[in-house]
Amino acid sequence: MATAIADSVVDELVAICGEEHVFTGRSALFNRARVPAPFPAHRWDAHIPQAVVLPVSAQQVSEVVKLANARGIPVVPRAGGTGLTDGAVPLRGGILVDVKLMNQIKEIDLDNRTVTVGPGINMLKLSEELRRYGFIYPDNPASYPCSLVGGRIGTSGWSLIGGRFGHARDLVISFEIVLPTGEIIRVGDGGGPKVRKSSSGFQLKHLFMGHQGTLGIVTEATLELVKHPEAEFSMFYAFDNYMDAWRTCGELARSSVATLAGVVLFDEWKVAYLRRDDEAYIPQDDSAKAVVAAAAYGFEDELRAGAKRLLRIGQASGGKYMGDEISQGDWWSRHDRYATPQHGRTRDGQVALMSWHCEDAAIPYPELPKVREKWHAIAAGLRERFEMFDDWGMFAYTNGAFKPWGDYLTEIDIGIWESKWDEESWEAWVDAKRELARVSIEHGGSITACHGSCREGEVDLVPLEMGGGFEVMKKLKRVLDPNNIMNPGKYLLDQAYEEE
Amino acid sequence: MLVFRLSAQRPPKPERVTDVVVTRLEHVLEVDPDLMRKHVAQQDIPNWDMHRIVSARWEHIRDIHEQWADSIVLAGEGSELGAGPPEPMGET
Amino acid sequence: MAETTTSGEATNGRSSTLPEEFLEQWRDVAYNCFSSGHKFCREVCPVTQVTRDERFTPTAFHANVIAMEKGHLSIEDVAEDYVNCTMCGACELRCPNTLFTGDFYRFRQRTIDVVKAMRAFAVEQGIHQKNWQRWAELTDRWGNEPVLGWTRETSGSKVRAWAAGLDIPTGGETVLFADCEAAFKRPSVPRSVALLLRACGVEFGLMDQQWCCGGPMWETGYVDIAHKMAEHNMIDWRKTHTKRIICPDPHDYITIIEHYPPLDENFDEFEIVLAVDLIAEAIREGRLELGTPVQRTVTYHDPCRLNKRLGVWQSPREILRAIPGLTFIDVDHVTQWSYCSGAGSNLWVEKPELTAEISRRRIAKAQELPGVDGLVSACPWSERPLTEQGEAVGMDVFDIFEITAEAAGFEV
Repeated sequence: MATAIADSVVDELVAICGEEHVFTGRSALFNRARVPAPFPAHRWDAHIPQAVVLPVSAQQVSEVVKLANARGIPVVPRAGGTGLTDGAVPLRGGILVDVKLMNQIKEIDLDNRTVTVGPGINMLKLSEELRRYGFIYPDNPASYPCSLVGGRIGTSGWSLIGGRFGHARDLVISFEIVLPTGEIIRVGDGGGPKVRKSSSGFQLKHLFMGHQGTLGIVTEATLELVKHPEAEFSMFYAFDNYMDAWRTCGELARSSVATLAGVVLFDEWKVAYLRRDDEAYIPQDDSAKAVVAAAAYGFEDELRAGAKRLLRIGQASGGKYMGDEISQGDWWSRHDRYATPQHGRTRDGQVALMSWHCEDAAIPYPELPKVREKWHAIAAGLRERFEMFDDWGMFAYTNGAFKPWGDYLTEIDIGIWESKWDEESWEAWVDAKRELARVSIEHGGSITACHGSCREGEVDLVPLEMGGGFEVMKKLKRVLDPNNIMNPGKYLLDQAYEEE
Repeated sequence: MLVFRLSAQRPPKPERVTDVVVTRLEHVLEVDPDLMRKHVAQQDIPNWDMHRIVSARWEHIRDIHEQWADSIVLAGEGSELGAGPPEPMGET
Repeated sequence: MAETTTSGEATNGRSSTLPEEFLEQWRDVAYNCFSSGHKFCREVCPVTQVTRDERFTPTAFHANVIAMEKGHLSIEDVAEDYVNCTMCGACELRCPNTLFTGDFYRFRQRTIDVVKAMRAFAVEQGIHQKNWQRWAELTDRWGNEPVLGWTRETSGSKVRAWAAGLDIPTGGETVLFADCEAAFKRPSVPRSVALLLRACGVEFGLMDQQWCCGGPMWETGYVDIAHKMAEHNMIDWRKTHTKRIICPDPHDYITIIEHYPPLDENFDEFEIVLAVDLIAEAIREGRLELGTPVQRTVTYHDPCRLNKRLGVWQSPREILRAIPGLTFIDVDHVTQWSYCSGAGSNLWVEKPELTAEISRRRIAKAQELPGVDGLVSACPWSERPLTEQGEAVGMDVFDIFEITAEAAGFEV
């Protein structure tokens, strides 16, 4: 457990941020330790910060970071705390910089089609404001109603409809970041904050996309304004076997229909899991074993034309069109529905409250069937040893930005009965995470499509995945953060400071 | 009209739908209460509250659809796929 | 694996700071939130929208139960955090555990109950919020809440003063429950309701000595006083064989239907109904004529207790659309899940600046609508801070019964 922070440091933080925005009370610390599951609640006190600040400006953030450097105190940036790789979980106490108060819309520029915001703003709330101008900010992860723009940059987040509108890294044009040594710089594609494509200098924006708060703290971002879609189309097809569904998924993704936004493949375990809750899922007959869904956005005329092409593929696939009701309901309920704690089941079928762990590799299309087999085997191994783990099935979502073909965000959802954690089950879990990650790498994929790979178990394989790139990561980290104060301990980057 | 009468809040006896699903209120499916014996107990939810939840769900989904697009294009069950004018969503 | 309590003794030797009875009741609901980690509740929470402070989020309110079970936090650490909630119900409704599967599993999120339980636990442990404690003492002494300030008595004998000149009988089969805030602070509301009910042909009386429904007592942790209020009111109803209670204020309605039945095994004798539903029905059936035009451009504020907590949003809109001359610019009731006046659960009594800011933002949202200079609400508690914030920027705030009474030709 981290020791209490020195009073003199607290005084300095108060001088920078004001008394009302500096916290050292226990509830302030304990309620900023975790992100969604799994969280080792049995070791909660190992993950609390020593102090919390809620700054309101880049200047304040900069001064806090400079103070941390001067005193050798870790800094942990935290936006929504809704990430899925422990990026915002303190490992060494320190000063937690919570950016939620920096949630203003600073400028809406209709001529340049940009909106400039603070990192503490949520995308759904942003889109609510943009609606009156006829725009939306379509960065749409499962956490759309609760994640914040700062975290989207910190994780280089993925959007369900990235095949049409791009992901966080495409929708964020430029941003202001406080470096680990306190300098405030702007990064984008080149110079002007509203330039989308440049070849001037190094492409620094991409360096910081997905840094998990290890290379600085974002204090402002300039984002794309996207016209609010006139129409939406979605279709669901059911198959009596996985391979036909997989083939159809690939065909749809490669259809080159310009309005196509994303395709989703539900494997047999996922469909079986969804049947636990027939009421919301709209009951299907037993022959539905695997499902493919596709969604498209655009003007109504182009959408209808595109839908016809997609439906032709569906009709020829041998699958069964699942009806309009599911299109009206399900498409926008999936992220709400699929991680409900009561969907947990013990071996004897009893309901138990389980956390949702989502493993999110990026897997090339041809490898999906094999990865699915291996991952389910790992989940089965866990379940056999410990009833507290439950296999909630797999999704595969198109992962490419603007072009839905290519690799897939491949997700296995594992229910974890968190109230049962102990050291043995935790260790087994960490091993399983490592094995899941290993499968992804062995099949030419990445450990993570969008969460990041900082968690225990998976992080061990980051050097393997990055190859020579890991040496570059270490060099950059050492140069930008000479005192190792910025979210230290993440990504094995302590190794950057070891003597050769 | 939300007239509250205590005796009207107790749900009728469950009827089986599948081996894990039952129904009590019209159009509302529920988990077999037998599956919530050991680890987590069900709550005592009055009928008016069940109806509130079910209505709110569809209202929410309609709202989310509208947040993302002005209209929904449906394929149309049993008819010429892709044909016909767009239908308004969720008229239940 | 054996069923064990999770008191954390395996890891750090700390023991639970919550009694086992508390945990038995609230552990599952707390884990239902903690295990999910979705946090869809946050951006709809009016307090979180203003403070952006994770200590006051619905997720923290549940996580604290787990943390306290593991001995990491005690009631001293968190009691004041639990003040920061209006009990609007947005979080527990929006939570996917309610919205998507609450009916399927007969198990929904219950943030409001958790906050009530924690506030009551704090009071039991002798940790009081200064103003809430004083408020509770005066309610106990006077029978009604001190809505006119600490020194102006709001006794049961004065609670009918708003009805002067209306010749409303005492008791009878149907009784109008006029709510402390309305009766004493905004008497035009119960007067409007009384005149409208009469115009629809509804016969009703007033209680002999109406006391506070008890709601804010349950909400702020003074459960014994709440019981006393409830028991008194039910005795009063039974004195004249009252069968039906009409509530203009949704706070009273929800308090009565949620908290009174467990106190009285014969509660089924009573039928509780919302005045707003009765009036809407009367208009629909042609029993109430609204013949006087009200030339205003207004929007409607969905009160939290009515919209989020009870799912009632159609009746008030039906009424407004029936008012001649009125230009009604609506904002749909789902968007309004994230709106609030900030008055609920007596937040304004302890944290007036927080309520003021929540209300200021609500008024600002109304101002954004083209031509709107009037906000209509259907809850007297919301109308207090909304009126104050509205005054600052030229936005008039009406109660729905006031504006409907005007349309019915009454001068209130």
